Amino acid sequence: MKRHSLMIGIALLFTAATLIGLSSQLAAQAKVVKIGLSLPLTGADADGADAILKGAQMAIAEINAKGGAGGYKFEALVFDSATPAAGQYDPAQAATNYKKFIGDSLVLAAVGPVMSGEGKAISPILSEADMATITPSSTNPDITDPKFQAQYRPKGKAVYFRTVTTDAYQGPNMANYLFHQQKIKTVYVLDDGGAFGVGIADSFQKRAGELGVKILGRDRLDPKEADYKTILTKIKGMNPDAIYYGGVMQAAAKLAPQAYEVVPKVIKAGSDGVYDLSWPKQSGKEAVEGWFCSQASPELVTAPKVESWVTKFKTEMKREATNYAITSYNAVYVIADSVERTAKAGKPLTRSSLRDAIQAANVTSIQGPIAFDANGDILTKTVSIYQWRDGEIKYVTVAPEK
Amino acid sequence: MHMLDVLCQQVVNGLALGMMYALLALGFTMVYGIIELINFSHFSVFMTGTFVGLVVLSLMGVAPGSASLTGLPLVGILIVLFAVTMAATGLLGVLIERICLRPVRHVSGTAPMITTIGVAFILINVVLLTWGPQAQRFPQLLPNWRWTIEGVEITFKQVVLFAVAIILMVSLSHLVKRTTLGKAMRATAQDADAARMMGIDVDRVVVLTFFLGSALAGAGSLFFGLYYGFTGYYIGYTTGLRAFTSAVLGGIGSIPGAVLGGLFIGLTQSLGGQFIGVKWTDVIIFSILIFVLVFRPNGLLGAQTPRRA
Repeated sequence: MKRHSLMIGIALLFTAATLIGLSSQLAAQAKVVKIGLSLPLTGADADGADAILKGAQMAIAEINAKGGAGGYKFEALVFDSATPAAGQYDPAQAATNYKKFIGDSLVLAAVGPVMSGEGKAISPILSEADMATITPSSTNPDITDPKFQAQYRPKGKAVYFRTVTTDAYQGPNMANYLFHQQKIKTVYVLDDGGAFGVGIADSFQKRAGELGVKILGRDRLDPKEADYKTILTKIKGMNPDAIYYGGVMQAAAKLAPQAYEVVPKVIKAGSDGVYDLSWPKQSGKEAVEGWFCSQASPELVTAPKVESWVTKFKTEMKREATNYAITSYNAVYVIADSVERTAKAGKPLTRSSLRDAIQAANVTSIQGPIAFDANGDILTKTVSIYQWRDGEIKYVTVAPEK
Repeated sequence: MHMLDVLCQQVVNGLALGMMYALLALGFTMVYGIIELINFSHFSVFMTGTFVGLVVLSLMGVAPGSASLTGLPLVGILIVLFAVTMAATGLLGVLIERICLRPVRHVSGTAPMITTIGVAFILINVVLLTWGPQAQRFPQLLPNWRWTIEGVEITFKQVVLFAVAIILMVSLSHLVKRTTLGKAMRATAQDADAARMMGIDVDRVVVLTFFLGSALAGAGSLFFGLYYGFTGYYIGYTTGLRAFTSAVLGGIGSIPGAVLGGLFIGLTQSLGGQFIGVKWTDVIIFSILIFVLVFRPNGLLGAQTPRRA
């Protein structure tokens, strides 16, 4: 008998403990919104991802310090989307991370991904869950293009929002700049085989062709390959005015020093994939000298109205600011604003209602107004051109639209 | 540049590449020859070697940004760099054999091979945690001298690295063919049990094989660092896989085969890139591998290797 009552006692104790656990979970659920952040924090693009992460973290800290938004506090749930096997971002890892976000009922929206290759993998997953993500940096236009709706948002509604514009502008506008300002007549086009790299190289090549620039060839760099002397020697034999590289850092880190050795005098240009402050450290200051790169946003870091923000970022986050740290910071503010509007309208806060609120967002931010079209693309389409000079990225101009 | 010049240039590039693959392939082939183990940790020993080189150089006061050296200081630093790095990677190979592989050596099946994959991941992560995820610059020790001969540019780097690779290969060949140790290695490769009965300390031979193979990987890693001017925790895989392919192509277990295979893959890579496109590199390399293996299953020089029954 004694044993019997002991068993009942233990059972009761467990039930009570579970109930207490559940109720505390419920209490937490009422107050916290988690924002999923899946970024390639290791690998070749780690520096850019780090800036983006810190931009988001700074926004979350600021909003929480002001008491949150709509009665909610925010919390970041951070996962690395790079794998040692890939040595850079890995779309399969990004998909796993987003499935984890969806498995966590407190995650109602996400900021990211950094790379378009990840975006293509995760967009359909988000569509199924009716959860929005805001990317501060991925620019491949296919993901939000209604033409590919069946592939990237099978349920129809936009779930992939951007605080930067797309490569439908970034690639072609660089072609415009090189043709009008640098007077190039011939170009050799390279990509890194990633969704972003191939897409932007295609759009650059198409526009350059329309302008009458002769495309001497197109080839693909394997980002894990060490030797690009083969392709550079081939390019040297063709004597082009310029080389355009569509892709991210893993290949760029090796391309720059070898290009400096084999074809030092040719004009070299890349995209936002090589707007990475660690590039001179990775490849050498002299090797990146003269490279052009771009941003799918207006120039923000040196803009006077952002000066105090940049100072604050540097002191609090202990690193240099980038434009995409700002677009990431703003992405969090868009989410907070949307949470607040949903709460004010008296609607229950769910992934779905938050998505609807983000779709309707019209937020004034330090990068200017942020509002999205029906596909999730930002309405502002500015692309900026930069050049590496003396180991630093210098803003050159707004890229010509024609 | 004329077409012929470009072509000759690609041959020079390909040979340099091939030399590096050959240095690495030797390690695969030697270990396989002795204990019939495909040693995937070799990829990571190679990668770790570049970081050992970085440490050795920084201890000697050569930082990534510092100017290249000439004359006696250059020769001195190069000798110390190669000696220390090769000794360190050699010891790393010995440690791997002693700690991770000897306990499973007599386990049949794939356990030892899987263990080497595990070791590879451990090394990758140790380097990742120590140096971080980004590519590191490797000091450009060798001056950027170049000579143009009939339109073909040959750099001082290529000449030095060629010379070092050839010295190492000739020494290895001498060691295997002419010394008592070499004889013991060949005997163990033919039949470990018989060798043991003849009084050969097989464990010692295995340890020395790992030492030599890993030391050559260390030399290969310096070749890589000095030639490409960078390193990163992820470099082992692609280079290692090509070197492994070289060893198989040449006939795994055959030392001249590894060198031939390495040069062949290097040339295939550069000429294939010129005529077909670099995006097809792996397709070309593996197509050739399959083609060769269909007609010569033991690889190009594999038939000459004495094998266990």
